[in-house]
Amino acid sequence: MLSNAIKALKANALKTTLIYFSLIFSIVSIFLISAISSGIISMYSSMLKSDGDIIITQAKISDTFFSNVDINLINKIDRLNGVKESSAMIVGASPVEKLPIVAVYGVTKNRLKNYKLIKNNYPKQNEALVGEAIYTNLKNKNSISIANKDFKISGVFTSDVGFENGSVVINIDEAGKIFNKSASMIMVNSDLNANIELLIKNIKSLDTNIDAKSTDNFVDNYNQFKIIKTSSNVISLIAFAMGLLGIVSIMSITINQRKSEFGIKRALGISMKKIIYSIMFESLILGCLSFVSAFLLSEFALYLIKHSSHLQGYVNGEITFSLALSIFLTSISMAVIGAIIPAFNAAQTDPVSLIQGNRI
Amino acid sequence: MIKAVDITHKYNNDLALNRVNLEIKKGEFVSIIGESGSGKSTLLSILSTLLKPSEGDVIFNDTNYKEIENIDTFRQTNIGFIFQFHYLINYLNVKDNLKIANEKVSEEEINTLLEKLDIQELVNKYPSEISGGQRQRVAIARAMMNKPTVIFADEPTGNLDSKNSLKVFELFKKLSNEGTIIIVATHDLKLAALADTIYEVKDGQL
Ligand SMILES: Nc1ncnc2c1ncn2[C@@H]1O[C@H](COP(=O)(O)OP(=O)(O)OP(=O)(O)O)[C@@H](O)[C@H]1O
Ligand SMILES: [Mg+2]
Repeated sequence: MLSNAIKALKANALKTTLIYFSLIFSIVSIFLISAISSGIISMYSSMLKSDGDIIITQAKISDTFFSNVDINLINKIDRLNGVKESSAMIVGASPVEKLPIVAVYGVTKNRLKNYKLIKNNYPKQNEALVGEAIYTNLKNKNSISIANKDFKISGVFTSDVGFENGSVVINIDEAGKIFNKSASMIMVNSDLNANIELLIKNIKSLDTNIDAKSTDNFVDNYNQFKIIKTSSNVISLIAFAMGLLGIVSIMSITINQRKSEFGIKRALGISMKKIIYSIMFESLILGCLSFVSAFLLSEFALYLIKHSSHLQGYVNGEITFSLALSIFLTSISMAVIGAIIPAFNAAQTDPVSLIQGNRI
Repeated sequence: MIKAVDITHKYNNDLALNRVNLEIKKGEFVSIIGESGSGKSTLLSILSTLLKPSEGDVIFNDTNYKEIENIDTFRQTNIGFIFQFHYLINYLNVKDNLKIANEKVSEEEINTLLEKLDIQELVNKYPSEISGGQRQRVAIARAMMNKPTVIFADEPTGNLDSKNSLKVFELFKKLSNEGTIIIVATHDLKLAALADTIYEVKDGQL
């Protein structure tokens, strides 16, 4: 069965290649969009989770980017039972030299230690700490201009999180002046045995304008992530449909050209079921081959993306085993579903047309 | 034994066969002649299970076609087909083409069969690499793979020269002597004369 299927695929080399490519395009698209979107989500969530069990943002706003909370809350929070430490952060963005958008984090002093120094010192007044990815891109390695204000570069840090590695860190009071707010969010680090739920309740009672969530809960409910996930799923679905159409249309043409083959098989008493299976099997082989090729291509593309200075390390995707597995299953079902209609068409070939001398 | 009882066939409303009765015994070599459009192919299709008649019955060794549950298995075990065109699968060699009819057959059996048809040297060749006469003989070999009770051949020599055509009919004669029923539709009266029985179809009647 396998050898005949391969021979059949080889005999129709051009169409086989066309199906193969259309499958590869579709599977690579699914791979890239899924890997990149989950990469962005995991990057951002690992940044949020890196310190702090509770995140405090402005109440009833749809995105933390617009959040503004009073930084003085920190003093009250620190006095609560079970709080180890709290810090604040402003999330902003600014063009830097030729780069159109660079993340700018304004942080409280106690947060600076989260950034792993690889060169010189943490920033003081009028100074900025820059991520490794930005630093290598900078022409002027001594000072940096953020929203028209010049900062002396105090040092360089590195981070596995692309968003951080490509960012600039300054002190929160200076960021507050630039971005016109007190703090985007406050992160609370609790004692090991603290009751998080109770702590959240206590924090919320401090101010009616704030919302407090556990970090995990926050990540799960973050609107941006939902948007990214939904768009990624929609694009994957479209790619799936395109791949499916590719198989159905090209395979139908092939099947039409092979009608006499199916006619003679039917005359020889080969069951419709067997003909259907044989065609699905051919498609399945193509599905598997395309998956392997698409996997390698995607890994290569992700490598290029990761190392493209143009993208500042903000775009980063990783193909996990479970992602690869689920896309493998998707590819297989694409191949099988796509072959259903052509296979049934083939099986329905009427051998009577052979007796009429038609060279179908 | 094949028996046709009052077979009538209409395509839409056109009468192609009109009350045909016929009985063919084991090992009989039958040729069916008649003008183009007289109904030869229609009769062959009905006798070979490919087409259900509008009316009438076909009985095959006590089995009425209407009562057969698995027509595929029935066809595979009892019936062999040879058409005007060989319908060999071009991407498979001779051996694999034969195996389409029967996967389980051994290499030895294939070789014996090919020897009988004098084409043993073609076993690994592809259809595009052999002559028209040889292709038709491979098609005959394929029809014989399952040692069928009956072989149906519709214009099997339509694409062959007279020498190759004669070879095919001599082969049919040999097979019928060995007990296989052979039913051939042909335009060639000389070849038809080689059969045990000749039927002429005229305006849908025998
Ligand atoms: N599928 C079909 N649909 C409609 N009419 C058909 C069909 N097949 C055959 N016919 C008609 O039935 C009649 C008998 O056709 P058939 O093919 O049996 O003749 P034949 O004797 O085999 O002719 P030939 O010698 O040309 O092969 C013809 O009038 C033909 O036009
Ligand atoms: Mg005919």
